[in-house]
Amino acid sequence: MTNIKNRISGIMALTTIAWRNIWRNGRRTALCIIAVAIAVFFIIIMRSWIDGMFTGLEDIVRTYETGHVSIVSARYDADRESYPVQFPVADGASSQSLIQQIETMDGVRAVLPRITTYATLFDSTKKHALIWGINIEKETAINDLNLTKKTNGIIDGHFPETDTNGCAIGKVMAQKTGLKIGDSIPLKMVSAQFSDKYWNPVITGIFSFDYQKFDEDTIVVPIDRLQKILGLDDATQQLVVFAHDSRDSSSLRNRLRSVLPKDSVIKEWDENYWVAMFQSMTGLYLIIFAVFQIIASFLIINTMLMIIHERIKEIGMMGALGMKRTEIVIVFFLEALILSTLGAAVGALTGGIASYLGSLYPIDMNIMTGGGMKDFPISGTLYLDFSFATIIEGFFFGIIVTGICTLFPSLKSAFILPVEALRR
Amino acid sequence: MKKFNILASVTVILLFSILIAQNTPTAKSLLKSVDDNERYDSIKYTGEIIIEYKGKRFVKEFKAFAKGNENSFIEFTNSEDRETKYLKKDGRLYVYSPDTEQVMLISGHMLKESMMGSDLSYEDTIENERLSKRYTAELSGSEKTGGKDCWILDLTAIKKTESYPKQKLWVTKDNHELMKYELFALSGAKLKEYKLIRSKKIGNRMFPVESEIRDLLRKGSRTVFKLDNVVIDKPIPASTFSMRNLER
Repeated sequence: MTNIKNRISGIMALTTIAWRNIWRNGRRTALCIIAVAIAVFFIIIMRSWIDGMFTGLEDIVRTYETGHVSIVSARYDADRESYPVQFPVADGASSQSLIQQIETMDGVRAVLPRITTYATLFDSTKKHALIWGINIEKETAINDLNLTKKTNGIIDGHFPETDTNGCAIGKVMAQKTGLKIGDSIPLKMVSAQFSDKYWNPVITGIFSFDYQKFDEDTIVVPIDRLQKILGLDDATQQLVVFAHDSRDSSSLRNRLRSVLPKDSVIKEWDENYWVAMFQSMTGLYLIIFAVFQIIASFLIINTMLMIIHERIKEIGMMGALGMKRTEIVIVFFLEALILSTLGAAVGALTGGIASYLGSLYPIDMNIMTGGGMKDFPISGTLYLDFSFATIIEGFFFGIIVTGICTLFPSLKSAFILPVEALRR
Repeated sequence: MKKFNILASVTVILLFSILIAQNTPTAKSLLKSVDDNERYDSIKYTGEIIIEYKGKRFVKEFKAFAKGNENSFIEFTNSEDRETKYLKKDGRLYVYSPDTEQVMLISGHMLKESMMGSDLSYEDTIENERLSKRYTAELSGSEKTGGKDCWILDLTAIKKTESYPKQKLWVTKDNHELMKYELFALSGAKLKEYKLIRSKKIGNRMFPVESEIRDLLRKGSRTVFKLDNVVIDKPIPASTFSMRNLER
């Protein structure tokens, strides 16, 4: 018991020495603290940014691409980049009866039929567009199509009524083509029977979903009219299922297998290419953060080496007065550790404040990317993800990585012989 | 004696060379024969377009009329495309769609689009000008294609605006029938491939009545054209190629 007490008081004494040593050169200490703080600050901001981006990407994928569970035919899935309409769900069976059947299942909130296809526009400014056929009434009741503002996204006019010759176009498309409400858009599509289908829908509304792919390239039309034009009757290209709780996606997918034909491809939202890719990159981010922290630690490593060099006579004196090698190492290690802790604390505090502000005031990604992110399922507005866990993780990550990095220069002090040191 | 042998050998070689040269047509004459074989003042026929795309098969029926290079009219008659009509008049292509009940002009980038989901583009269908006027030809060899001995012609476009800057043609040695051709981009990439499946003697020419075309940029796609009731060089009323007929 006495032994432990002695050890604790010994460490306390060494800590006091380390603490006093730190303030012998205030400017150098401040520099070390700032270096660690900057690294921790950026790690927290980057983490909040990536988490915010990932959350946004998940929302976009669930809202526009997959719902919680997506159902398509196997042949559509094999060629989904070209959005073929020739391979409907359940080989062309009535989508209404399928929807009714699935909606009676436990945990299902809604089933939405969707058709996406390419169209060639007669307009020479904008040659191609995506046609998005949806049940507008049902879709807007389930989803906020503008995820940033939590609205249906219409900024002028209205979405077309069911089974009408209307359409809504994105804000960016309207700006680029000069089209306005009341204008028609002559276009050509390829039908389910591989026929050329010409259509001339009239614009009833302009939308802004804050999602570049839709705002620039997509024409929203009523699915029932699109089904008729494409010769699909009541069939649909995709069924998007929303569960009451997204955590039920997996069990829902398994239950759907028993209802749908064998050639159906039933996927959970997190099987989406972009979601899976982002998830697989988590390890890579950790490596990037570690490299960032190690680079910041170089300043402390350098400072410690300089301190040891400057205090070489002092180390000799400490040894001559009876201080053990381990005690000398501990003094220098504690010195580095205190610097790391102070730096990490400052970085965590400032990073936390910045990420909190970023979660309240979003960043306009279109300004940063010039609208060039349309192939990437990400919103035009980015909210940072504020989380205490991220701040605490950033703080300890900073201390641990910097602490490990400073072990080596601290050990150097142990190999200096007192006689040699005093002679210098 | 030795001198006589050498002289005899040289004479024989020369004679053979002359005979071979006489049997080998020039590239220009071959291309003219190809053009002449498929040339008509007017034509009408009924036909089928069979599109096979990734395991699915779509059949379209149509009737077609053409007069010279400038005027043609196609009306689809199968249930899904009934009343869809195309009119080429004075080098411009118009479409009438029963869905919109409107006539639309197909021009610019629209011409590059696939026609009725087939492996042919609108541009392919409206270009009727003789090959010999658009390309310079070079005889690059011979080989057996579709069981027939063929000459191989390499064509290079005269104008830079040509859709396919290079073409390769396989022409039968006996009656100068076009058995196969390949269309290339300027980079040399092969874009489309045509094969004659069946031809029929109409008048004094062998006319292609069944052929296959593949757009190599569309994976798993193939289009077969079948022509029936082909009538060549019989009068067709001028009203067939009118806007009124298109809208009717």
